[in-house]
Amino acid sequence: MSNERCAIIGVGQTNFKKRRDDVSMPGLLREAIDRALEDAELTLRDVDAVVIGKAPDAFEGVVTPEIFLADALGATNKPLLRVHTAGSVGGSTCIVGAHHVIAGIHGTVLAVSWEKQSEGNAQWGLAGGRSGGIGAGGAFAPWMRAYIERSGAPEYIGWMVAVKDRRNAAKNPYAHLKMPDITLEQVKESPMLWDPIRFQESCPSSDGACAVILTNEEGARRSSKPAAWFHGLSVKSELSNFPGRNPVKPQAGVECAHDVYRQAGITNPRSEIDVAELYVPFSWYEPMWLEGHDIAGPGEGWKMVDSGETDLGGNFPVNPSGGVLSTNAIGASGMVRFAEAALQVRGLAGEHQIPGVRTALAQAYGGAANYFAMGVLRTTPPQ
Amino acid sequence: MPATDIAIVGFAQSPSLRDANPSEVQLLVPVVTQAIEMAGINRREIGFTCAGSCDYLTGGPFAFVSNLEAAGAWPPISESHVEADGAWAMYEAWMRLQEGDIDIALAFGSGKSSPSNPAEVWAQQLDPYYLAPLGVDPISLAGIQARALLDSGKATEEDFAKVVVNSRRNAAANPNAQLKDADTTVEALLAEPYFRTPLRKHDCPPISDGAVAVVMARGDKARELCSRPAWIRGMDHRIEAHQPGVRDLTSSPSTALAARKAGYDGGPLDVVELSGTFSPQELILLDALGLSLDGDTKVNPSGGALAGNPIMAVGLVRIVEAAARIIDGSANRVLAHATGGPLLQQNLVCLMEGE
Amino acid sequence: MTDTPKEHMVMEHLVTLTYHERLTENLNRYADNLLEGRIIGAKCPSCGRVFVPSKGYCSLCVVPTTEADEVEVPDTGIVTGFTIVSPVNYYGQKKTEPFVFASVLLDGADTTLGGMDITGVPHSELRSGLRVKAKWKPREERSVEGMSNRGWGGFGDVVESFEVTGEPDADEETYKEHLF
Repeated sequence: MSNERCAIIGVGQTNFKKRRDDVSMPGLLREAIDRALEDAELTLRDVDAVVIGKAPDAFEGVVTPEIFLADALGATNKPLLRVHTAGSVGGSTCIVGAHHVIAGIHGTVLAVSWEKQSEGNAQWGLAGGRSGGIGAGGAFAPWMRAYIERSGAPEYIGWMVAVKDRRNAAKNPYAHLKMPDITLEQVKESPMLWDPIRFQESCPSSDGACAVILTNEEGARRSSKPAAWFHGLSVKSELSNFPGRNPVKPQAGVECAHDVYRQAGITNPRSEIDVAELYVPFSWYEPMWLEGHDIAGPGEGWKMVDSGETDLGGNFPVNPSGGVLSTNAIGASGMVRFAEAALQVRGLAGEHQIPGVRTALAQAYGGAANYFAMGVLRTTPPQ
Repeated sequence: MPATDIAIVGFAQSPSLRDANPSEVQLLVPVVTQAIEMAGINRREIGFTCAGSCDYLTGGPFAFVSNLEAAGAWPPISESHVEADGAWAMYEAWMRLQEGDIDIALAFGSGKSSPSNPAEVWAQQLDPYYLAPLGVDPISLAGIQARALLDSGKATEEDFAKVVVNSRRNAAANPNAQLKDADTTVEALLAEPYFRTPLRKHDCPPISDGAVAVVMARGDKARELCSRPAWIRGMDHRIEAHQPGVRDLTSSPSTALAARKAGYDGGPLDVVELSGTFSPQELILLDALGLSLDGDTKVNPSGGALAGNPIMAVGLVRIVEAAARIIDGSANRVLAHATGGPLLQQNLVCLMEGE
Repeated sequence: MTDTPKEHMVMEHLVTLTYHERLTENLNRYADNLLEGRIIGAKCPSCGRVFVPSKGYCSLCVVPTTEADEVEVPDTGIVTGFTIVSPVNYYGQKKTEPFVFASVLLDGADTTLGGMDITGVPHSELRSGLRVKAKWKPREERSVEGMSNRGWGGFGDVVESFEVTGEPDADEETYKEHLF
């Protein structure tokens, strides 16, 4: 038995913004799906199965909403599988979709993920309807503090990441926060929310959806456009809270990265990966994941930011799309990382395209940084 | 359909309880451990784990994060979660096993319906723009479906009662069942008052808490771990349109399609385990599979979902109950079914055989 | 950004769902003890780690713990991590001034209490490693409302804060594996 090779041949994103009250939930999803199908030169009839992901149902107040969305997803008479792995869910959904293809169960799969937080109260959802909500930043801030203390990083590193991502987003037609002229000073002067995280170092809350079309070699041959081939894909989870846990560099993140590097034959990620889309909802997570996935050595992640290496024109560009810091429809955010990595590999990223990308890394994390989904995409199929 | 041989080699379930004292994860901890012990493996041999649960049932976001503790997720594991019945978690794990790089996978499902009023919670699964604001609840919807079935001439209220008699009597021999009665008769049931015409209380499922886990293995590994593994010949799931008004509520084409895709050719079955949670639904499912209560196939020997309905576990419980009869040698070809969404909107079929 | 000028009609659909969940037996005993000013946890019979509160099992060994495994721990400990939160109008947030949100590792425990207030030191001098002691509320003002079977269990509303004792800071090695 030999496995199929799997490629992303279509990518679709909605325009992301705070409130998409011009569309219903089905309308929002169809915007992303139709764009992905158009990119893949396919129609819903060509889709064998649908995999859908989103973060907690409480965000929109509908129990397992894919059930009512089945028609809009084009899923009737097809398999429809719902994934939920907290913030990493968009990445996990893409990976579950890819496994359908790799295992040879279906030839062409639509994977879609979304959030329409404006239809509910996401902060109420996060707090479980209980009092005293502090937002996700409050949970992550102590670990960012610990990173800063351990690495000796200067505080302007966080501001630099925020400026870079918001400026990159200005080149991305789908991004939510576009701030082409944002300065370090503006980030520094923005209110402190969760020490050490300032307002401008935090992600927005967005409505939006992202879809990808996954297919095998036969499917990829039918498309006139380039494909982005999976060379590695992995999901890893660890307990969210236990004695001995290192939440600054979670072991599940280390192992997930090493799993995809091994599958893709990567021994030196910093030199062999051309661009990375990492899940950075708070500025400090950029250097934390550079170290957390062994791209940079201990205490070296912030130096990559400081030297401009992660800029659009740097040696290791991170989040040319503007990242989660600029656009965060929670359930979709993980899949956007994979979709943007695919666009980079396919040479279709437009104004934020990095020239000559052959290998791209996509990463999503969720929960208490205890869920990870990662993938390596390349221009040619694996041998 | 991939040719890889994958089998169930271990399983466990909690009893179906009206109001379990332990938390959801506390229900899961012993169940997962027992399934692993039955398979005779070490936790670290599991190559992939998939869980099924529902935030809204638990009443809080990220309910599955605690459930991860039952899987023993330290050091880190390869793991995913579906917001669906554990049967869909098993489907994902079964799919993952096809790839050949891992030999053993674990799937589990869990849910506690007791803290809430399930009829209120599941009303929020309906289309939020066009259906949910009407205040229609799942039990009334099931009543509409039952009425349609009567009006179609495909079944009578007596047929509904026969389904319940079969369930209660079979459940009498099932230590995990919640509602059981070896002496129930059709006459006694028909003498009961209506609850939502034409449904009587016994035509509806109980409110249940429960958890279930299953261990699967590939090829020779399965043979090594189990003297008579339950080989999964096929697994498939399909969904229909959501609006009840655009569907023929008296039939289940998605069940028939899933069964066909899972490799069920209409040949003889020793056992069928169905997740019809209202008695008319069991008749609709039997019809979709070309079976009947009076045929040679034993229908719901466990008592089925009418005897215990731990939502998010109940479908995987059906698979486990069917597999158990292969593993103990009392059956050779079985079919199990799980469902999701209102009125059998989404259906999964798993076909298993002995060797 | 260009917002659509058109006004869209918004339909409000407010739903209330009520859940009644009993605290698990282990949390029930923990809550009863908190009201009496005692903190109990469970010592894993397999690895010896002390979980405060008890989960009813050890999440690392995946073995059950029972009442027989429960132990009392002192109300003194170490700040292992913290943030200072500027209150935003998140659902149910009643605070109006910046407040401390710290993790406290009690002496003899292996898990931390989350979201604790630390007093006796200005915010600017707050640091990991500080030694603290519970400042209990008077018995009649203690409450365990809001404790939950979900997450880590909570600490109810039984202390004013954890107050800095003035002892020398703990060495990072003693708490660096207990950041949560």
